[in-house]
Amino acid sequence: MSIDFLRIFIFLLVPLAGIVAAIYLAVVLRRRR
Amino acid sequence: MEADALVRDYLGRLEAAAWPLAADRRGELLVEVREHIESALAEAGNRDEVTARNVLERLGAPEEIVAAEAETGQPAGWMPPSPGPADRRAGWGLIEVGALLFLTVGAIFLPIVGPMVGLVLVWLSTEWTTRQKSIATLIVVILLFLPVLLLLGVSVGSTSSGS
Repeated sequence: MSIDFLRIFIFLLVPLAGIVAAIYLAVVLRRRR
Repeated sequence: MEADALVRDYLGRLEAAAWPLAADRRGELLVEVREHIESALAEAGNRDEVTARNVLERLGAPEEIVAAEAETGQPAGWMPPSPGPADRRAGWGLIEVGALLFLTVGAIFLPIVGPMVGLVLVWLSTEWTTRQKSIATLIVVILLFLPVLLLLGVSVGSTSSGS
């Protein structure tokens, strides 16, 4: 794996981490309603 | 389970959940809810299990009805909380919305810092359980640190292979 590939990977994964967690929390909150 | 059994079960749960209410109010509430269910079933023109489940689902959980009743003490003629105004749409406070915004939009515009602030807000909120907060934190930590570790591994690998 090249460093460039990993940079792109990180660039994508950083927002993805928050988005996945946010989706999980939103679903949990919605179900609880 | 047939419709009548579902309704009986629901009313039983409502009665059990309504113990904090005054006895007369509890009786009134049960009558009101029973009447509401009956009229909704009559309106639907169908008395099968699916219709009954839909009617009961629209009413909301018995505990929610009792909580709303205890809070507002609404008089007779009360309408079920759903699909009415979102006053009991629990969960979506300022902290929760802020947490989700920082986790999503924040993660794009403030890499690393955004999700971290989001997680702090998640932990400050009382709407999620500790388990749910831990799962969300794990998701962020794993997805954030996995590529960093990979990057470190590749850097070390390329340095050692280069020398």
